[in-house]
Amino acid sequence: MEITVEVQSATRGSVDPHLSIHAYEAEGDLMLLHFGPQHPSTHGVFRMDLHLDGETIVKATPYIGYLHRGVEKLCEKLTYVQQTPIVDKNDYVAPMTNEQALNMAFEKLLNIEVPRRARYLRTIFAELQRVASHLVWLAAQSIDLGGALGGGSTLFLHCLRERELIMDLFEEVSGARFHYNTHTIGGNRHDLPDGWSKRAQAAISQIESRLSEYEDLSLGNQIFVDRMKGVGVLSAALALELGISGPVLRGSGVDHDLRRDAPYHAYDELEVQVAVEQGGDCLARAKVRFREIRESLRLARVAIDGIPEGPICSFKPTRQPTQVKLTGGQAYAALESPRGELGTFVIAGGDTPTSPYRLKIRAPSLHALAAIPYIVPGANVSDAVAILGSLDPIMGEVDR
Amino acid sequence: MTARHLPLVDEGALPYEHPLYETLLSIPGLSVVTAPLDALLTWGTKNALWVFPMATSCCGIELMAAAASRVDLDRMGTIIRATPRQGDVMVVAGTITVKMAPRVKLLWDQMPEPKWCIAMGSCAISGDFYRDLYPVVPGVDTFMPVDVYIPGCPPNPEALMHGLLRLQEKIGLRREGKLTQAEYRPGLLDLTKPRVGRLGDVTRDAGLSDAQLEDVSDMTRRDLAEESSEIVPRAEPVREAIASSSQEIEALLRDDFGVTEFPKDAAPLVSRGDHRRLAHRLRALGYAQLIYVVATHFPAKKTDPERFEVAYALRSIGRKSTVVAWRVALAADETIASIVGVFAGADWQEREQFDLVGVRFEGHPDLRRILLPADWSGHPLRKDYAADTAHPPWR
Amino acid sequence: MNELVHGALYGTLIATAILSTIAMGIWFERKFAGRMQQRLGPTIVGPAGLLQPFADIIKLLQKEDIVPRDADRGLFDLAPILAVVCSLGVAAVIPFSPSIIASDLDVGVLWVLGIGGLMVIPTFAAGWGSNNKFALLGAMRAIAQSVSYGVPLVLAVLVPVVLSGSLSISGIVAWQAQHHWFAVWPIVPGLPAFVIFFLAMLAESNRIPFDIPEAESELVAGITTEYTGAKFTLFYMAEYVHTLVGSALGAALFFGGWDGPFAPGLHWMVLKTLTLFVLIYWVRWSLLRFRADQLMRLCWTWLTPIGVALLLVSAAWVTFGGTN
Repeated sequence: MEITVEVQSATRGSVDPHLSIHAYEAEGDLMLLHFGPQHPSTHGVFRMDLHLDGETIVKATPYIGYLHRGVEKLCEKLTYVQQTPIVDKNDYVAPMTNEQALNMAFEKLLNIEVPRRARYLRTIFAELQRVASHLVWLAAQSIDLGGALGGGSTLFLHCLRERELIMDLFEEVSGARFHYNTHTIGGNRHDLPDGWSKRAQAAISQIESRLSEYEDLSLGNQIFVDRMKGVGVLSAALALELGISGPVLRGSGVDHDLRRDAPYHAYDELEVQVAVEQGGDCLARAKVRFREIRESLRLARVAIDGIPEGPICSFKPTRQPTQVKLTGGQAYAALESPRGELGTFVIAGGDTPTSPYRLKIRAPSLHALAAIPYIVPGANVSDAVAILGSLDPIMGEVDR
Repeated sequence: MTARHLPLVDEGALPYEHPLYETLLSIPGLSVVTAPLDALLTWGTKNALWVFPMATSCCGIELMAAAASRVDLDRMGTIIRATPRQGDVMVVAGTITVKMAPRVKLLWDQMPEPKWCIAMGSCAISGDFYRDLYPVVPGVDTFMPVDVYIPGCPPNPEALMHGLLRLQEKIGLRREGKLTQAEYRPGLLDLTKPRVGRLGDVTRDAGLSDAQLEDVSDMTRRDLAEESSEIVPRAEPVREAIASSSQEIEALLRDDFGVTEFPKDAAPLVSRGDHRRLAHRLRALGYAQLIYVVATHFPAKKTDPERFEVAYALRSIGRKSTVVAWRVALAADETIASIVGVFAGADWQEREQFDLVGVRFEGHPDLRRILLPADWSGHPLRKDYAADTAHPPWR
Repeated sequence: MNELVHGALYGTLIATAILSTIAMGIWFERKFAGRMQQRLGPTIVGPAGLLQPFADIIKLLQKEDIVPRDADRGLFDLAPILAVVCSLGVAAVIPFSPSIIASDLDVGVLWVLGIGGLMVIPTFAAGWGSNNKFALLGAMRAIAQSVSYGVPLVLAVLVPVVLSGSLSISGIVAWQAQHHWFAVWPIVPGLPAFVIFFLAMLAESNRIPFDIPEAESELVAGITTEYTGAKFTLFYMAEYVHTLVGSALGAALFFGGWDGPFAPGLHWMVLKTLTLFVLIYWVRWSLLRFRADQLMRLCWTWLTPIGVALLLVSAAWVTFGGTN
C-alpha cells in the first residue's frame, strides 16, 4: 500500500493541512483521538481531532465554536455605551485591551480626540495587561510541559502570584478584579487613586526582579528548551498568509508590531522596542514573550513617570446608555493586544442610531489557531500540547 | 455562613453508595458500630472534595487563581483532577453553549456517585447577559442538578472557597438527614426564567430530560460526521513587493478596477467579478496580511431588495503599516468568489461569515459551519434572525 | 523459625509499615509541594492537615465503582491489585535491619529486578482494559519506557553485585557494612551507578521527569483515566509504594542500608530511605517532563552505554586490585 502522507519529523516544517489520509486504511492504521473540547491542555473549550500513527500525528483537524456566545449579535442589540463590559469577556486574560479596541473604533467613528492623560492611562493599562497575560501564558505553557502534578505547577503558581499584583493594581483603579469596565468612549471612567503610581512602580520592580527567576526556570531549563526547540515551526510566509499577528508572528521573524508601526494611545511618544526572534518554533515564541514582558514593564514604567495632568475623558461619562448616536459610517480600529492585532470593525446606522448595525471583532487567536493543521502534523501528542500552548489561544475571543 | 433568610428545605438524605455498607446497615442492632462509622465516612467525604473543572471561560481563570498561592484550595484538601472519573465536584466555570451542553452532560454522567455540582459565576447560573442569545444555555440547571450557586462575574477565588465550604456544610447535613438551607436559585426570578425550564420546575416539560439524553448519545456520531475530507489548495505564489501609499491604491482602483466612488466614511465598492483579482494585486503590492472578512445582511425594505455586503481589509507589514479595505455588494441570491487561494487565512474567516451570515463563497474548498453545530438551521447574524431563537432540547 | 512463618510475620509487618508511611508520605508531599509553590498545602483537616490522606482514602473508598461498558472487565479489575502486589513484592527481600527482612533470598537482586519488571503488566492491563484511548496511549508509553529503562536499571544494580560478589541484598549490605558504602567508595563505578539507578528508578516508577505514561496535561490521567474510587486508590497507593520501595532499594544497594554509627540499623535504613524519598519529590516538583523520544534518547545514548562502562570498570576493580 502506498503511503502518500509526508511526515517531516526531522524539521517539523509545515505540512499541508488537508492531507489525504485515505492511504491509510481508516480503521486499521490510524487512531482518531478526540483531543478536547474538555481537556486539561486545550486552554478552554477547543477540540482537535488527531489522527495518530502510533504517537505521530498524521493529521490534525481543529474545531472551534464551543464557546460561541453570540457576542456580535448582542452588540447589535445594545447601545454603544453598553458594550464595554460585554467585550471584556472575549479575551478574558486581557480584558483591558478588549475594551480599548472597542472604544477606539467608536472614537474613530465619532471622530473624537481622547485626552492625553487618558491615552497615557490606556497605555499603562495595556502594557500591564500584556505582562499579566504573558504570565498566564507562561503559567499555562509550563503546565502543558510539566503537568499539574509536578514542576509545571510550581512555575504556574509562581506566575499567578505575580499576576495577582497587577490585578490588585487594576482593582484599585476600577473596583473590579477581572472585568474592569474602566474605558468608555472618549477616554476612561476612573482616574488613578492617590499613590497608585508609586505602588505600580513597586509592583513593576517586584515583577522585574522575579522575572529572571522564571527565565531560569523555563528558558534556563534544559528540558523546557528541548521540549520547545524545533517544535511547531511556523514559517514567516505561512504566518503572514494566515493573518497571524502578535508574538507568534514575531517569533517567526517578522518585524511587525502595531504599537510601533501604526501607533495609537501614547505609543508615538514612547519608543517601543519590538522583540523579534528567528526560528518560528515554540522556543522562539517563548523568547519573544519573555522579551515583551521586559519591554512592557519598561514602557509601563516610563509611561507612569510621564503621566500628564488633565481630564481623563473628552466628555463626561454618564450612565445614560443612549448618550451616543450615529447615523452612518464604518470604522476599523486595531491595537496590539497580547495575542496580536485585536481589531473592531463597526458599521453604524440602521434603524437604531444608538447601536451599531454590524460589529465584528477581529480576534488574533482565531488566526493563530488556523495554523494548527499546518504545524501540528509530524509532531507527537506531547508536542501538540506544547504547540497549542505556544500559540496562546483564548477561546473566548476565538469563538466570541 | 450562608444567607440565613433563605428557607430550610429537604433535599433528601444523602445515601451511602457502597454495597458493602448498605449490607452492613441492613443488619439490625448494628447502629452502635455504624453511628461512629457514619461520622467517619461523612468526615472523609466532606474533607476531600476533588474538583473536576468544567472551565470554559473567564471563571476558569479564577478557578485557577483559587488553586494558586493566595487562596490555595489545597488547604481544605481540594485538588483539581482532570478526569471526571476522579472528581467529586464539578465546578461549572463559564458559559455553556448549545454546542458544549451535551458534552457537559456526558461528563457529568461519567462522574461517579456521590457527586455534586457547583455553578460558578452568573453564566453557569443563568447564562448572564448571554441568556437571551441563540447559542447559550440559560444556566446549567436546565439539564443537570446544581448544589451550590456562586454568583459573580466572575466570582472571586474567595467566593469559590466559600462555595466549597457551603457544599461541605450541605453534605454533612444531608448525610444526617437534616434540612438544608435553600439555594438562592435564579429560577426564583422571572427575569431569568428560561424557555426550557430548570430542573425541579413544575412547568418543565417531562420529556425534555429524555430528549437531552438522546442528544448526548447522538453526539459522537455527529462529531464524526463533521469531519471534512476535502483538499484545500495552498495559496498561489505571489510576486513580493514593497507597500505603497493610499493614493497609489486609489489610482490602482480607479484605473484597473473601474472604481469611481471613494466615500469618506466607508471603503470603496468593488465589483463582484473584480474582487478576487484585486486581492491578488494588493497582495503583490505588499499587503501581506488578511485582516478581516465581514459580511453584513441588509433585509428587504420598501424599495430596496434584500442584499449583502462583504467587507475586506488587508494590512501591510512593518513600519508605517497601512490598511487597505474594500467592499463588495451582493444581491440576495448572489455568491462571491472566495479568496482562499490568495490568502490561506481566508479559510476560517469565510467559513465564519458563511456560518453566521449565510453568504456563499464560490470556490471555497470546505464551506462548512465553523462556530455553530453542524445541524444548526439559519444564519444568526442576519437581521431577520431572532436573537433568542430556541434550539431544543438545550435552550 | 519456619521460614514461611517468618516470612508471613515480617512481610505483614513491613507491608503495614510501608503502607502507613506512604499515608504520611502523601501528606508530606502535599505540604512540601505547597512550600515550594508559596502556599500552605493541607492545613484544615486534622492538625496541620495531617489527616488529609486519610480523608482522601475514606472518600475514595465510598465512591461509586464504574467499569466502562466496553472495558475488558477481568484486566480492568485485576490491574490495580497487581500493581500493589508487584510494588510491595519488591520489599520482601530488602533488609531494613540485620534481622528485619521478610525473606533473605540468595538471589534477592534477581527477585527485585523480576518483580519490579512485572510492574509493566498491571500498567498495560489498565491501559488496555480501560478501552480508553488516552489510557491506551499511556500504556504504550509505559511499555516502551519500562522496557528501555529496565536495561540501565539492571546495569546499575549489577555494579554493587559485582563489587560485593553477592546476589543477596542483605549480603550486599553486609559487605558494605564491613568495607565502605558503594556510593562513597569505589567512587567511580559506585556513585555514577547510583545516579543511573536513581534515574532509571524514577522512570520505572513513572515520576517526573519521566512520567509520560500518566502525563496529566497530555493524556488526562494516562492509564488511570477510567479508574474510580477504590481501584484508583490502589493505583494511587501503588505509585507511592513503588517510590518508597525504590528509595529503600537505593539505600540498601548504594548507601550501606542499615549500616551507620550510634543508632540501631533500622533508624539508619529509615533515614536513608526517606532522604531518597524526599529527593524524588524534590525532583518531581521542580522539573518539567521529557518527550517520549527524548526519554528514549537519554536511555539508549547515555544511560545504557555508561551503565555498560561502569559494569566493566567495576569488574576491572574487582579483578585488578580494589579491596576484594
